[in-house]
Formats: sequence, C-alpha cells, structure tokens
Amino acid sequence: MRFDSLRVRLVLFLVALLGVVQITAFVLINAAATSAARAKIDDELSVGERVFALELRQGAERQLQAATVLASDFAFREAVTTGDVPTLASALQNHGARIRAAALFLVDLDGKIVADSLPASMHQSYDFASLLAAARATGDSTSIMMIGDHALQLIAAPVRAPIPVGWIIVGFALNESVAQELRALTGLNVSFAFEAAGSWRLLASTLPAPQVRALQERLPAYDGAVQLHELAMPGGEHQVRLVPIGGIAGRHVVAVLQRPVADAMAGFATLRMTLLGLGVVSVALSIAGSVLIALGITRPLRLLLDAVRRIRQGDYAAPVDVHRRDEIGVLAQGLDHMRAGIAEREQRILRLAYEDVLTLLPNRVQFADQLARRIAQSREQSQHFAVLVMDLDRFKEINDSLGHGVGDHVLCEVATRLHGMLGGADAVARLGGDEFAVLVGAGRAGRATEVAAAIAAVLEAPILYEGQPLDVGASIGIAQFPEHGADAEVLMRNADIAMYVAKRSRSGLAVYDASYDTNQQEHLSLLGELRRAVERNELQLVYQPKVTLATAHTGAVEALLRWQHPTRGMVPPVQFIPFAEHTGYIKALTRWVLAEAIRQCGAWRREGIDLRIAVNLSARDLMHRELPEYIEGLLQQHAVPAQRIGLEITESGFMEDPVHAQRVLERLSAMGLQLSVDDYGTGYSSLSYLMKLPVDELKIDRSFVSNLSDDSSLQTIVRSTIELGHGLGLKVVAEGIEDARTYALLRELRCDSAQGYYMSPPLAPDALRAWLQGGQMPRDLRPPPTEQLQSRQQLSLAAPLSRV
Amino acid sequence: MIRAPIRMLASAAGLMAQGVLAATLHVQVHDPEGHPVANAAVYAVPDRPVDREATPKAIIDQVNRRFVPRILVIQAGTSVSFPNSDNIRHSVYSFSPPKIFTLKLYSGVPASPVVFDKAGIVVLGCNIHDSMVAWVLVVDTPFFTHTDGSGAAALANLPPGRYTLRAWSNSMRQEAPGEPLDVSAEPLPVRTLEVPPEAPDPPDSMSMNAQMEGMVH
Repeated sequence: MRFDSLRVRLVLFLVALLGVVQITAFVLINAAATSAARAKIDDELSVGERVFALELRQGAERQLQAATVLASDFAFREAVTTGDVPTLASALQNHGARIRAAALFLVDLDGKIVADSLPASMHQSYDFASLLAAARATGDSTSIMMIGDHALQLIAAPVRAPIPVGWIIVGFALNESVAQELRALTGLNVSFAFEAAGSWRLLASTLPAPQVRALQERLPAYDGAVQLHELAMPGGEHQVRLVPIGGIAGRHVVAVLQRPVADAMAGFATLRMTLLGLGVVSVALSIAGSVLIALGITRPLRLLLDAVRRIRQGDYAAPVDVHRRDEIGVLAQGLDHMRAGIAEREQRILRLAYEDVLTLLPNRVQFADQLARRIAQSREQSQHFAVLVMDLDRFKEINDSLGHGVGDHVLCEVATRLHGMLGGADAVARLGGDEFAVLVGAGRAGRATEVAAAIAAVLEAPILYEGQPLDVGASIGIAQFPEHGADAEVLMRNADIAMYVAKRSRSGLAVYDASYDTNQQEHLSLLGELRRAVERNELQLVYQPKVTLATAHTGAVEALLRWQHPTRGMVPPVQFIPFAEHTGYIKALTRWVLAEAIRQCGAWRREGIDLRIAVNLSARDLMHRELPEYIEGLLQQHAVPAQRIGLEITESGFMEDPVHAQRVLERLSAMGLQLSVDDYGTGYSSLSYLMKLPVDELKIDRSFVSNLSDDSSLQTIVRSTIELGHGLGLKVVAEGIEDARTYALLRELRCDSAQGYYMSPPLAPDALRAWLQGGQMPRDLRPPPTEQLQSRQQLSLAAPLSRV
Repeated sequence: MIRAPIRMLASAAGLMAQGVLAATLHVQVHDPEGHPVANAAVYAVPDRPVDREATPKAIIDQVNRRFVPRILVIQAGTSVSFPNSDNIRHSVYSFSPPKIFTLKLYSGVPASPVVFDKAGIVVLGCNIHDSMVAWVLVVDTPFFTHTDGSGAAALANLPPGRYTLRAWSNSMRQEAPGEPLDVSAEPLPVRTLEVPPEAPDPPDSMSMNAQMEGMVH
C-alpha cells in the first residue's frame, strides 16, 4: 500500500477521525464514570453513615430497653435495696449475660459505682458524669467509652423504686460482630478506631488483616467532625468516611466506613469493555466502509488510468468502460471522447503518413512497411519477389515548363494507370517526386521484367492534358529478392541503381547487376572528389577529329572530358557524368568544358589552327536559360566566332523538355553556334519534331556504324538516314569508324564527316597538333594499326555508356 | 404497743391541762425561687418526746391508677389502709428503709393495714404500674399539717415548749434539718420555710394508650 494513494489517505483519515472520537468519548465516559463512581461511593458512604448512626441508635435503644427492663426488675430492685454488693455484682453478671452486654454497672444517683459485672482486676472508678448528665437531661443516652481495651457503648437507665434511686449502666462492646452486622446492613466495610496520642488503633474491623494494618497506618489526624478521605489501600484506592461515635477527654472513637473505588467501578468495567468492543467494531466497520468507498472512487480511477495507459500505448479500440452518474463518470465520458478524437486524428495522421496525398497511392513509408513484411514473409516461405523502382523521363521538364498543375496531373494519371494495371500480389507506391515503386509478387523468374514491360507499355500512350498529348516515359530498375539484397535497404538501393542504369542507357529497363553496384559505390566517393577535381585541375579535354570524307580534311573536333585522378588514374566519364547530372554538378562541369574548349579554340586560332570544336551538352544544361549568355561571354573573352563552336545534344536531351529546350536552342542557333543531334537513332524522337529545331547536323549513333560493313540492313538505314538528313539540309556525321571498310562505305554513302579510332582516338591538344601536322593519312588506303585496334576494342566496351 | 396509747392519752391530758396556753403557728412555704409550694409537709417535732395518745389510722386509696393522696404525712405508728378503688389489681410496695413491705396483687380492701412505725420517708409504688408513686412522710410528732394551694399551713394547738420546725416536699430525699420553734404565751409570728418544688407524678404508662388513640384520630 502506498501512503500517498488516495485510498490509503481516505481510509487513514476516516479511521483517525473515528479513533479520535472514540478515544475522546471513552476518556469522557471514563472520567464521568469514575466521578460517578466516586459520587456513588460518597452517596453510599453517606447513606452508610446514616444507616450506621440509625443502627447505632436503635441498638442503643434496644440496649436501653434491656437495661430498663433490668432496672425495673422487682427482684433486682429488691436486691438493690438490700445494698449487698456481692449479690448485686452477681445479679449484674447474670443480667449482663442475659442481654449479651459486655459490662453492667450499678451506680448511685451521684454516679458512684455501687457494683459492676467486671472482673475484680478491672474494678476502678469510671467517670460516668457526662453520660448520667445526658441521661438525666434526655431520659436516655449513650456514649462510647474505653473500658480496658474495649470500646463499649454505654447506655444508662434509671433504677426506680419507684422514684430513681440509682442507675444501671449497660456496656456493649463495639466488636467484630457489631462491625459485621453493620456491614451487612450498609454494604460498607466498617471499622472502629480509637485515636490516642495522635495514632490510631483499630478496635474492630470487617477488613482483612493487611488492610487493617494499612488503615491503621494511613488514617489521617482527626478533629472530631465527619471526614471524607481517599486512602490508598492494598488492592486499590478506598473512599473512607470517618464518623465520630464517641470520645473520652479528646480521644476520639470513630467508625470508619469505607469502600473500594474499584467496587463502584465494577459496573463500569463491563461498560468499558462494551465501549472498547464497540470501538473496535466501529473502527473495523469504518475501515471496511471507507475501503469500500475508497474502492468506489479508486476502482473507476484505476479503470480510467488503465484506459489512459491503453491510449498512451496507442490502443484506441477499447472504449473507456466506466459508467457512473458522478464526476468520475463525466471524466470517463470526457476521456472516451478524447480517445475517439485521438483515434480519428491518428487515423488521419496515419493516412497522411502512409499515403501520398496527391495520388492516394501508398507513400514511401508504407512501401517500406510492405517491403519489410514481404521480406519477412518471403524469407519464411523461401519465395522470390522483386522490387521495381520507376522514374518518369522528362517529368522535371514538364513540371518546370508547364507548371506543377500539369506535373500533378501527369503523376495522378501515371498513378491511375499503374494502379489499374497492377493487382493481386503486386503493390504500387509513390516514393516521392516522379519516383514510383512496385512490389512484384512471387512468380517466375522473368515475371518482374514482364511487369516492367507492361508498365512501359501502359505509359506509352501519351497523357492528355487539356487535349494536349504529353509524352511520358519511364526508366525502371529491378532488384530481386533475395539474390539482389536480403534486406529492404539494399533491395531499394539496388533497384535504384538499376533504375539509374536504365535511365542512362535509355533502355527503359535494367535488372540490377552486381557490377553496377561497384560503380555506384565508387561514384559515391568520386562525387566529392569531382568537386575538387575542377579546383585541382585534374580535368582535361581531349579532342577527336571529325574528318570530312569528301576531302579527308579535318575541319572539326569533338571535345571529350577526361579526369586524371591522382590515385585512381584515368576515371571514365561514365563513372561520374551520370551522377554529376543527378546532383546538378553537371552545370559546373559543362561550364568548365565550355570554358576550356573555347579557350583552346581561341588558342589554336592564334596558332593558325582553325578547328570547330564541338562540346557535348546534357539535357540538363538546356534547362539553364543563362547558358547562351554564358557562351556569349566566353566567345567574346577568347575572340572566338560562334561558328567555330558546335554543341552536341542527344536525341533524348532534345526530347526531355522540348518546349524549353527549343527556346534555348533557338537562341544558341541565332548566336551562330552549330547544333548537332548526338546519338541519332537511339531515341524515340520523331524526325518531324527534330525538324522544328534549329539543328545543323545529325550524328548517327555508333551502334549503326560499328557493324555497318557486315550488315546490309544497317547500310540501308544509314543510307536512308544520310539521304534524309541531306534532304532536310542537314550535315550527317558518323561516329565509331574503326576500319577502312566502314570509312570507305560511309564515303560511298555520301556521309559528310566521320569520327572514330580508325582516323584518330581523342587526343590531347599537343598530340592533336602533331597529328594535324603529321598529315592526314589516306583513310581509304591505310588499314588502322593493330595496336590501335586493340585499344579501340577495349574502349568500345564502354562505348554504349560513354556518350560524352 | 399497748403502752403507747396510754402515753398519748397522758400527754394529751397534759396538753389539755395547759389548754389555755395552746398556740397556733402559721407557716408559709415557698421554693427557692419564691413560689409557694403546695402539698408540702410542715411539722414541728417537740424536743421532749410526746406520748402517742392513740393509734391513728390513715387511708391511701388507689383511684384511676393513682395513689390518693399522693403525699401523706402521718405520725409514726399510724396504720395505713390501702383500699383499691380501681377495677384492676394493684401491688403496693416500698423499698424505703423506714418501712419495706409488699402488698401482693389485690383488689378491694386488703386484709390488714400497714403500720408505719418508724419515722422517715417512705416511697410507695405499684409493682405493675410504674407511674403510681406516693410519698408517706412518717414523723415523730402529732403536730403536722400540709400546705394548701397557696403554700400556707397552720399548726394549731401547739403547747408551749421548744420544737424543731421542718418542711418537706416530695422532691426531698431526706428530711430537712429544721429550725427551732419556741412556743410561749405570746402569739407566734408567721414562719416562712423553703423547700424544693413539689415533684410531679411520673408519666402514666396508660398515657401511651391516649397517644395511640390520638394518633388514630
């Protein structure tokens, strides 16, 4: 039991209150009873005193009668007249025995003893003067005198013949039997005591011996009046009353009436026991009652506390089950309302926390939960499943150029389509931005790929916004459980990596491969170093010549970025360019490249080398409206005419945000810059759309070129592309030429320019100068050197990824 | 016994011879407070003995549980008769030394009277009625009388000579010493004597009945 609990305090208070009342009542009643007992004893003593006096008087009267009878006895009177003392003495003894008197005296009218019944040893003159005087005055009289060791009550009766001729004095002893008689009458202990020389002597007593001694020792000094005392006696206190019954010459004879206080308290003892019992019972009852009341308060409070604890622990289901009409009931009701309110709000918050507000799809948090559950479930049942992470292509451009409203519409539409096509074990969620994720249920190994393809198909149909079709594609990364990751974090990261790979490769779909992961790991650390690379001048540009096929003259080069890392050596662009694009650092890189290329161009021009330098722009660079001004500034700074700088932009770069890109491109074109469509043929761009742009040149993707000489259908495509480009007034460039046959074939196909290892790898500015000065080989006659082929083949492995 | 009447006659004759010379003494008796005392005996005892002329007789009746008279003065040798006029019996007794006697319970007139032959105070009682008291003063002189209600008495026919004059009331346990009286031819002056007041009768035991009757009423 805790002492600060409400229940214990309530019980303690009530019990203490009752205890105080009980104790007070007990003390008061005890005091009243004690004083009543004393008063009762006083009364008893007082009554006893009166009874005693009456009895003494009545006894005296009886004795007087006896004496009178004796005095009137004719024979006795006859004996008196004879004056024969021995005869008289024997007569007195005889009569004394008859009336049980202790002593008899015959005295003459002057009080002189004529004869007595006492033994000879006690013959002496006793002073009866006062007794006789009183007797003469009142007719009868008694007095107590000490005769020898005995207190005698003396009564005088006249002897008449027939006129008084003398007195008979009868003495009765105040002895034990008298005391016992008086005790029987009064109910009090009776003692006769005699005070002599300040000390008391008990003549007779009804008390037991030890008390007699105590009384004798403790009786106080006496002044002749009735006195009341309390005396400590063995066995308890006594109340004592001293009643004077006689005395001789200042020596008092008293009757001591007494009663133990305890006697009068005896009746109260049962009352006290009853009171004690009542007290115990009432305290017990009050404890029980207050515990009940306290329980009545604290039990519902406990229930409320339980309810509060449940609510705190997030259990809002159970209603607060306290129904009372009192304040606690109101409190319980309020608590229940609060519970319901919290439950409702929590539901809402949960929805907000687990649901994407825009698309009403599950959000990233919920998806993480689902994924965790799925992992646990699949782990148990040894099942497979896959995580698809999907990112919309060109969404940012739509959002930026057409506004968030359009963006939101696109997202909702994508969500609707995904939701509509997926079902059963598959779950879709929006992770944020334009990123979606799909949990593909267990199934065949290829099922994830099928679902991804299905998603791509679903998104193929343009999304209509106010009648305007919007083309939205998606890049999907797939990670399989358990082979691509045993936990949610790894799975998600790997799906993410695969998604980036898909996006970069424009394949729209990539299944995670462990090799991506190492790249990724490196990228993460490289990213920080990339920032420093610019500062530390670790970046450099190499230039690959573009040879005009008709003249075998080199009029242009493509600037390619290289990163000479101090410890890693040459870092391929594929390892840092995609992440530079993602982080936005591509902007800085592009500016650095533009600055370096234009500076180099200016430098070469001053040396007399007139080359047009083409710089690759990423789609993101086109988002920057100030790009034209920046380039303008550089051209002026290095005194380079705009015509000597080309910009190569991939097909998808044009398509990602066509509206915005078009504006930037038109400004650049207006400045006089040469614009090329890079990697032409890999995207899904429509040629008619491209034609709206101010493009000067098409660069046929190397995938068409590398096997050109062996594949007649490729030759047909390339031929028609070249013809188409020429038809539209564009120059056509082929890249990836690795052998003389291809070179010759392209020249045959009337391709304008060619670029490739066959002619030259990308070269540092000094090497390029040397290459230019060393004269250009007759490409159509000279096969490429063997070692160059090897290096080209090594590089070509990364070619599909290095579009920079 | 026979001689005594002869002497009495002789002395009477002697007194008669001197008859011319006989005197009367008037006496006034009072108590110490000056109140006259009734029923007090007044008697003069001559210095030389006087012969008894005859055996006088006296009667003490018992009427309504009282002796009548209560106080009787007689010359020694007087025979007193105790007739009982009540319809209850009485038992008359005396423990007084001059004459101790008892008359057993009787009614009517007892067979013989009681002769009081010695001078002195004799108190009579009834053995069964304590309230009955009578005093008999026995004197050795023929010259005695008693006071009337006003305390006055007269001793007549006193022959000249020397006497001892005494007064006595019933509250006296002994006779007074007396005072000398000289009777000569001259008229005697009135003498004043002092005695204690007359003792009342002891309470009548029958009065208790009266008390009880009173209580009833």
